[in-house]
Formats: sequence, C-alpha cells, structure tokens
Amino acid sequence: MNVNARILTHRVVQQCTLKRIVTFSTKPTQQAAAVAVPQQQEAPGPSVRKPIVPAHYRFVYPEFLPDPKVEWRNSVREKLERLDMLDRRRQIELPEFYVGSILAVTSSDPHAAGKTSRFVGICIHRERCGLRARFILRNVIDHQGIEVVYELYDPTIQKVEVLRLEKRLDDSLFYLRDALPEYSTFDEHMEAETLEEGTPVPVNDIKVVLRPRPWLERWERQNLLGVANIDQYLKDKHRKSAAKVQKPWEKYDLMKQYRSTIPEEEQKEIFAEVHTELHTLELQRKRNKRKRTFVKPKQLA
Amino acid sequence: MLRTVICDLARLRLSGSTSPAAVLVTQVREKGHLSRPRLRNPYWFIRKERTQTDDLVTGENRSFIKEVVHDTYGKPALIKGIQTYEQKQLIKTPVAPTDIEPWTPAVRRCGLIARKIGQYPLWLKNGERVRTTLLQVVDNHVVKYIPPGEYTPAQRPRVKHLDRYGCVLVGAESTNPALLTKEYCGIFRDSGVMPTKNLARFIVSPQAALAPGTPLNVGHFRVGEFVDVRGKTVDHGFQGVVKRHGFKGMPASHGVTKTHRRPGNIGGGGEKGRVWPGTKMPGHMGNRWRIIKGLRIWRINTKYNVMWVQGSAVPGSTNGLVYIYDTVLPLRKPKEAPPFPTLYETEDDAPEDIWYDQVHNFKDETITYKPE
Amino acid sequence: MAQILLRNVTRAGNVALLAKSNATSPLTAIVAGAANQCQLHTTPACCEIRKLSRLRVVDNSDLGKRAMAEGRPPRCIHVYNKRGVGLIGDKVLVAIKGQMKKGILVGLKQKQRLKQPQFDSNNLVLIDDNGSPLGTRIHVPIPTVLRTILKEKTLAKGADYTKVLAIASRYV
Repeated sequence: MNVNARILTHRVVQQCTLKRIVTFSTKPTQQAAAVAVPQQQEAPGPSVRKPIVPAHYRFVYPEFLPDPKVEWRNSVREKLERLDMLDRRRQIELPEFYVGSILAVTSSDPHAAGKTSRFVGICIHRERCGLRARFILRNVIDHQGIEVVYELYDPTIQKVEVLRLEKRLDDSLFYLRDALPEYSTFDEHMEAETLEEGTPVPVNDIKVVLRPRPWLERWERQNLLGVANIDQYLKDKHRKSAAKVQKPWEKYDLMKQYRSTIPEEEQKEIFAEVHTELHTLELQRKRNKRKRTFVKPKQLA
Repeated sequence: MLRTVICDLARLRLSGSTSPAAVLVTQVREKGHLSRPRLRNPYWFIRKERTQTDDLVTGENRSFIKEVVHDTYGKPALIKGIQTYEQKQLIKTPVAPTDIEPWTPAVRRCGLIARKIGQYPLWLKNGERVRTTLLQVVDNHVVKYIPPGEYTPAQRPRVKHLDRYGCVLVGAESTNPALLTKEYCGIFRDSGVMPTKNLARFIVSPQAALAPGTPLNVGHFRVGEFVDVRGKTVDHGFQGVVKRHGFKGMPASHGVTKTHRRPGNIGGGGEKGRVWPGTKMPGHMGNRWRIIKGLRIWRINTKYNVMWVQGSAVPGSTNGLVYIYDTVLPLRKPKEAPPFPTLYETEDDAPEDIWYDQVHNFKDETITYKPE
Repeated sequence: MAQILLRNVTRAGNVALLAKSNATSPLTAIVAGAANQCQLHTTPACCEIRKLSRLRVVDNSDLGKRAMAEGRPPRCIHVYNKRGVGLIGDKVLVAIKGQMKKGILVGLKQKQRLKQPQFDSNNLVLIDDNGSPLGTRIHVPIPTVLRTILKEKTLAKGADYTKVLAIASRYV
C-alpha cells in the first residue's frame, strides 16, 4: 500500500516535471500546439482547481511579465509599471499579435503633412518588457525595404491594427532582410482578415528564399526553420564552423531555463492581478466591434 | 622636550655655584605630532547585527519576545509598499510646530533615504520620451537632531561654516530589534523610533531642525524640482583599462600579439621620465560614493512613496540605497519655498499620483499634433 | 571601409557587383548566383556614411541613372558636418562617373530613432550648389523627418534644400 502510494506520487511528480518543461519552452511554435489544447492538459486531477487566468495570457500579453534577471527585479516597480500599462491600454486597443503577424500602426507624427503616419508591415521582432516593450515592422515599398521600430506603449501611437494574425516558424524574422523582397512585400491598403473566435492562431509555415551571400548575419548558425534554400549557399567550412558553435546541450540546462523565464507561480500571480482588468477591456472591445458591425449595414441602406 | 633638556643643562651649570635645592624646575610636557586626537567615527557607527547564536530559547520565550516587540512598536505591517511595523508610539501626523522660521534659499533642508527600484520611460506631452529612475523612500523617520554647537565631527565633512549647521539623524526600514546589538538599539532609545536597518546623517540649518520621530515621506520634495542623488556605484572589481576608462584597445589581428586590451604607453622618457600622477591605469572600478546632481522629479506617487527622477545614471544597483538631497546647483535651486522643514502629512488631502505638467499622464488621451 | 576585393577583376565581376548593389531587379538571383561561383569577395557593407562608402542614387537624374546602371555607384568623398559620419538629411560630396557632385542623404541603413524608418540601402538625391535637385522625381519613399531637418538646414541666404521635398513621390 505504502509502496504503491510512493510509486504513484513519483509518477505524478514525473508528469508534472514533464509538463513543466513543455509549458516553459520559449518556442512559440510549440506553444501554439500547447495553447490550442489547454483544456486537455488541465483535465487530469478533478480535485485541482481550474486556474482563473487563461493559460494563453502569457503569449497574448508577454510584456506583462518582467525581465527574469533577478538583479533587476523589484515588486513595487513592477506593480507601478503594470498599472501604467493598464492605464494606457484603457486608452487604446493594443491587440494580440505575434512575430510574423501583419500590423498597421498609425502614429502621430509632427513632421508629416496630416500629422499622422500609417505604416503597414510584418512584425519581424518583439522584445523587452513593461513600458519598454517594442516591435519592429518591415515592409518593401517601391522596391525599397523599410523597417520601423515602434514602442507598444508610446502615447503617440493612435492605433494598432492587426491585418493578419498568424505566427511563423521562428522567434524572430531578421532573415527577411536577406530574403528576396517579395517575402516582405505587403500591400499598404490590405484589408484586415478576421479569424473566427476560438480558433487557435494559425502558424504560417512558409519557407523564404534567401539571396546569395554576403548576408547580414550567419544564418546557418541559427537553426532557422523558415528558410528554404540555405544549404545552397553553404560550403563545408560554413557547415563545420556552424556545427562548432552549436550548443545542443542547452535544452537540457534546467538552470539556464530557470534563469531566463519567470516561474509559472509568479506568472499566475502577475496575471491574477491584471486579469480582471484585461478581461473587461477585451469584452468592452468586443462589444464595441459588434456594435460597429451592426451599424454598418444601416449606413449602406 | 627640547626645553626640558635645556633646563637640565641649566641646572647642571647652576649646581656648581649654588645649592641644588634653591633652583625650582618645573617639567613641561608638550604635545608631539604623535599625540593628535584620533579621527573617530560618529557614535552611531556601531556594529549593527548581533551574532546569531543558536541560544537555547524555548518557543514560548521566543513568542514572548515577539509579543513584547509588537506591544512596544506595533504589529508587522505593509506601509507604502514596505515591510515594516505599525509604529504605535510615534505620532503619525505630528502637528507642525508653530514657531517655524520662513524658508530662505540659503537654508539647508534634511534629505531622504531611498532605494533605487528600477527604471522605465515616461513621455512628455510633446511626445518626447524621457528615461526615468524610480526611487522609493523607504519608511524614513527622524531619529535625532544634534544642534550646531554639539555637532563637532572628528572627520569634518566638506561643508563651509560647519559650525552654523546642525545634523539630523534619519533611520530607514525598521526591523526586528532582536536581530540587532544592544548598543545599536541604544541609539534609538530616546527617539521612540523602532530600530532601523539604515541610518544616515543630513547636515541641516538650525531652522530646518526636525523633532525625533517625524516621518519623512516623498512629499518632502515637489514635482518639477531638482535633486542630487548620492549612492555607491556598482562594484566591478579590478578591471582593465578598456572597461575602466574606455580605452580603445588594440587590433585583434594584423600582427598584433599579446596586446589587445592593454593600455600601451603610460609616459614619455627624457627629462620628466616618470609616470605622471593621474595616469589612467587598470585598477578597482566602482564601489565608490558618487553624487549625480540636478535630476528633475517628473512624477511622484504618494501611495508607494516613489519618485521618478530624470535619467538612468543614478549610482548604484537596483534595490540599492541612495540618499536624496536638495540640489546644490545654483540655477536649479528651488525658487519657491518647498515643504519646510518637511511636509507634515495630513491623511487624505494628497492625491495618489502627482505628475509634472509637462509629463503625459497615461490616463490621458493619445498625443496628437495639430496641423498648422 | 567598404573595400571591394575582386579576385579576377573581370567584366563579369563588375556586373555581379551591380546586381548586388540593387537587389530588387528580377535578374538578381541568376546573376548573383554566377557571382557566387566566380569567387567574389566583399567586406561587409559599412552601415555608416563615411568617406568612400558607396551610396545609391534614388532620383531620376540622368547622371545618377547612368551611374547606377553601369554598376559604378557613387562614393561619398566628403560629409559636410563636423563628425564626418553622415546622418539623415546631411549633405555629402560624392564622386560619380568621374565628377564631383553634391547630394543629400534621404535614407540610411544605420539604426534610426524610434518611429523613424530604417532603409535597406543608403539613398542619395543629387543636388547642385543651390540645393535644387538634378532629377525630377524620387522613386523610393523618403522619411517625413526630412521635412523638418531640411527646413532647418535651409538658411535665408544659402541653398534651398526644401526643393528636394517637392520631388518626393511618397513619404514614410
């Protein structure tokens, strides 16, 4: 009896640790699968209370999680920062988006003729947390590649629209700078594509074609998934040097993972604090949208 | 000493002619250069932490000690985001003394002890982004005031006319007295303040004297004013010349061997063939007291006692202690009277967040520019 | 310093260089593939505008068009500011097809400030001494900050740089 119980607990612990690793991984593509089936994961153990905060919040609002570097953390600062972020979010809608989504940002520009400027592009990178959260948009306009860095909580930003909500295979798409221009060309007057509610965010598994060397970075060292023809441009020396700098053991480095992520318990605490506010904002936005869609036919008629 | 020798010689000469009893010699002792008064630390520089021995105190006794602490100083509480005790014996809102002399620009006010809790950007109303550092004033109480006559430190601070100034001893972050030495707790005995982890002295004019037990809050400063912040810089240890002084180093290749991050030449030969004083060389970097002057206060939060000051170059690491003073820069000194000698807080008149009028409040609408 | 090290300096190599400098042409993949085979080495492109950095002419002036078509892009030989590194809106002196011409930088590869666009190439508009552009149209977008910068740089008696703004086709 006693032995049985011990084995059982051991197994449970094992399962827990396994699950933890899955939820802690930083690759968004793998998470997409995990996010898609949150109920199935939480199902075992009927006695376990369902968490109030939806599990996908840490992907939708990644900037609410502070920098995991211990030396820089302070609970009061983080709290004040979150309050300011919520204040800003009450003013404008900052929608859910990922690296690979296509956004349109309208911002006040003192230099522009109409004092606003709108830029459409694919989000190639998202970084930093708190009020410093920023993202980079890239587009090719008139055969000229252009990139703009925006801060998410900048009060001069008037509107952030998500024209196409999707993910790509990689965490950042800097390789689009070395890809053929058609892979980062997006129409400025593109209309927003709507996803049905409840569907998981689709992963676009497009593979881009790179231009020949010279490149801006050594892409062969970065294990990119979204590149089609990298092998074509590699010689043996490149492959060898790339193999030399690989660190395949790092995925087993639990300490490194621990240091570079916010523990799940803390994440729950943080989101429990802001959850109700974010949820009401979401609902409000949805209601407003429905109203808008209801009004439109009237005007047409 | 010389004089005694001369006296001895005189006595010898005299002794030949007259009787020795007739000459009366007084010995004079003079102060030599070795018998200067020692430079002593101020009396509040005492060992703080008690050696934690595994003394055999029973659980009952331990809880009794706890009870006594709570009876005298109040229960543990979270005041303004800081873990502290509700200090019952202190008058929370002492009535401002009636006989205050008015503030003049020449007066030195008391400062505050704060912690640097991080940094994040704020935006101005014209859309400009400013980087700010957050300083949290941590549970400050006046422990003691030493009037000008009595304040004669052995190590004189570099303040002109020090004899005209007094000194205010301020404590920050109260802690369990059972962890501290008896002598350290003795500093707080007459003030009625709970023993604190940190102590600092501020040199003040006698007009700006504060009564022991007065709580100091972030309201001591006003939004838009300028402050000086003193802190101990991050300790980098022994560092080379590239990191310590920003030298360029030498090329990584092109025939360079073993000289990539070295300083190169440190002096010429010839007549002055030596290393000049002040030459930048490798050495210990950081862990020094530094003052950064003239930082504007952009915003103040009275609920958590936090102020946002300009810039991200405040000395010290995050969660490190800093001291905040009125600025000494002549053009940035306050024109109008700040709260003097400090803000005697009334409970509910202060708004929670105070923004400087140039700063964009996150609750306001998006910044737009009007077309001409 | 943007140096080109050509092994077997041939005409084919020069053509390949042209293809690299404006990668937007549809021929790029083919020609550049050829370049890969013929062992063309270049140092990584310098992100700053200094002396001897290659630029891309983006207006439709005859001189600029011919220079770009021949694969001999202009080189900066002087930057008219005190730092020696060209920023957006700065005036530069370039060597183009054996002549010295002045130009204005209207797009940079370098890291830009927040909300200001960063371009994939270093763009130049040729001007004469009075500040009037040699071409009649700029065929790529230019940043809106130029409006303010060029207005500030135009003094009452000096050259009028704001004429460059008039020939722009699009702002970003």
